Amino acid sequence: MKLLKYNKIAVLAIVSMALISCAGDDQLKESQLNYTQPVKTSLDNWITTNYLNPYNINVQYKWNQNTVDNSRYLFPPTINKVKPALEIVQTIWLKSYATIGGPDFVKKIAPREIVLVGGVNLNSVGTRTLGLAEGGQRVTLFETDYIDQSNRANVSEFIHTIQHEYIHILNQNKPFDEKAWKLLTPGGYTADWYNYAIPESNELGFITSYARSNINEDFAETASMILIYSKAEYAAFLAGIQSPTALAALKAKEAIVVKYFKEAFNMDFYALRDEAEKNTTAVINN
Amino acid sequence: MKIKHLYKYLFAALLVLHLSSCNDNTDAEQKFDQTPTERLNAQKGELNDLLLSSEFGWKAVYFTDNTVLGGYTHLFKFAKDGTVQMASDFDSDTKTYKSEYEIQLGSTVSVVFTTKNRIHLLSDSNSYPIPSLEAEGYLGDFQFLYYGQENGDIVFKTNRNNRELRFVKATAEDWTDLSENLIMEQNVIGGEDRPLFRLLETNDGTAIHKFDFSFTAATRFAESNSIETGYSVSYNMGVGYTPTGIVVSPAVEVGGQKLTNFTYSDTDGSFTATGTNGVSAVIKYTDKPLALTDDYKLLLPGQPLGWFGFFIDDYTVEAPTNSPLFYAEIEKINAALPEGQSISTIEIYSNSRIGTFIYYSFVRRAPLQHFVTVEEDEAGKKMVLKHKSWNGNTTVATPAILASFDKYLMDPEGIYVKKENFRLVYSEPVYTFTSASSPFRMTTWKLN
Repeated sequence: MKLLKYNKIAVLAIVSMALISCAGDDQLKESQLNYTQPVKTSLDNWITTNYLNPYNINVQYKWNQNTVDNSRYLFPPTINKVKPALEIVQTIWLKSYATIGGPDFVKKIAPREIVLVGGVNLNSVGTRTLGLAEGGQRVTLFETDYIDQSNRANVSEFIHTIQHEYIHILNQNKPFDEKAWKLLTPGGYTADWYNYAIPESNELGFITSYARSNINEDFAETASMILIYSKAEYAAFLAGIQSPTALAALKAKEAIVVKYFKEAFNMDFYALRDEAEKNTTAVINN
Repeated sequence: MKIKHLYKYLFAALLVLHLSSCNDNTDAEQKFDQTPTERLNAQKGELNDLLLSSEFGWKAVYFTDNTVLGGYTHLFKFAKDGTVQMASDFDSDTKTYKSEYEIQLGSTVSVVFTTKNRIHLLSDSNSYPIPSLEAEGYLGDFQFLYYGQENGDIVFKTNRNNRELRFVKATAEDWTDLSENLIMEQNVIGGEDRPLFRLLETNDGTAIHKFDFSFTAATRFAESNSIETGYSVSYNMGVGYTPTGIVVSPAVEVGGQKLTNFTYSDTDGSFTATGTNGVSAVIKYTDKPLALTDDYKLLLPGQPLGWFGFFIDDYTVEAPTNSPLFYAEIEKINAALPEGQSISTIEIYSNSRIGTFIYYSFVRRAPLQHFVTVEEDEAGKKMVLKHKSWNGNTTVATPAILASFDKYLMDPEGIYVKKENFRLVYSEPVYTFTSASSPFRMTTWKLN
């Protein structure tokens, strides 16, 4: 009994001490962190209207060392080159997919961020990296300072980059038939693809030399090259292939791509190609 | 009973803990009276205010790597709206351009030039001055970490490779005179009428030392090595241009003093840096090579066959050792030839079966052979070529198309011959032939 009483007093004392002991602390003040939004330029507002609001894609054109490879000698875009580059991407890529895949297609499967870099990303072996797709989330596009909207070859190369990277993102969402692909041109893959001329690689059943780096790049190159060719250009390309086995391999690869778009996304790949061609012409004639 | 004691002790222990726990003594934390966030914010504000504070903005001579490259002068004028006006002497375009900047938190507070402007020309993987810098541009950076102030300068370190960069308050003249830096560049390169040889002469107040001096315009970098035996000092330096001279990094250290600013003299084309107590360093021209070699002896009578060739369509035409006057004389030959013809090679055959001769060959024209005798100037360490005949004909005059060119090889003062220590792609050794009395130098391969 006595013990219990003692305990009661003790508990009471501890509770009261706990309650009053650390009183007198400073009241929380306003945050030290700067929450004010940076001033938005008309370009920033254009991006919000055309990319952020409709597609939930953020565009980063100002330099941020965390989104680029700091060991590379790169530089941010010239400010007045940003909008033309984004307009090309919007017209040829976003609009083509929206028309054929449905308005919500790109909203669901899209990079959440596009990073623009003005300069050339030159590799020590002399090749240029035109684009990067990281984890299906971010696409980096290089050489935006050199876009010439009036030049079809130039626009095609730039669009090739984003089409190529987007194919990677689609693949990262739904894989293509890798087993079937592997069997087509197993002997042609090589790490030093850049030592081969494109016509040489064509005759081995690859649409470009870069396609020879591995099957994922092969798929992305095959799909994106067909997308940037017009129907007639692609037919002419196939007609120029000498080797019957190469031609058969190219056609088999094309068939896998078409099947992939149909089965994975219920999309008519040829309709997409025609839409992209129409929009490319619209960009160049603008 | 035992348990009762236990509670007592427990209570006592808790009491002690409680009484001591809220001790207000925070001595150990008193290093700063602000939180890290407060301090970073203050630093951000400090840097931004500082950048905006200078009336004519800031000037920085950016030596991206003073072991291979020189300095590039940049002028910055920051504005409150996050824009910056910038000009640079990277190339002949010294106009002012506008772009954006931000104060960002990297490993510390930094200023970043977030959209493209002149400073980014140093960080273009696709534009590099020499093959060894392929994919690395001019090794430049455009994010600078803030390290405080010193004598009114802002001290930064570059983000990528941690090199110090100082922003100095600019003046109105800095902006108007920036284009003069490129006029100075021509003086550093040296005009056609200046002598071919240069030296760096240092004076530490008592002793004078001489160093050869060669400047590469593409990299704005100079190499300077002692020519005295037993004195192996080198001064390799990056060069930045100013309207009145050059600024070098690393400093030329003479007698314990660091000399960085050289003033140009148009009279003799020299650049002088003056310290105190008689210390100075001068980069100046000289008529003869600093280090004379015995290489000319290869062509003297009695020696085996020598074959030296300059080829217009091969790497000899790109040799940095060819002088502007040499190129100008080549052009003169071509100008004098009929349409469709041009000079192709200039070869020197010494002690061949048929004698010593200069062999001029042409595109779509018969070659010409100038037979000569070779005399030695032993004291001057050079050879003198004397006319014998043209194609074996001793009476015919020098062909008009070669009259101007050929007289440099026939220089009565003689020809210096030097085996160079570089190669022009192929393994054949490179020899230069330099006229003793004019800035004429031809580069050849020794082909046998």
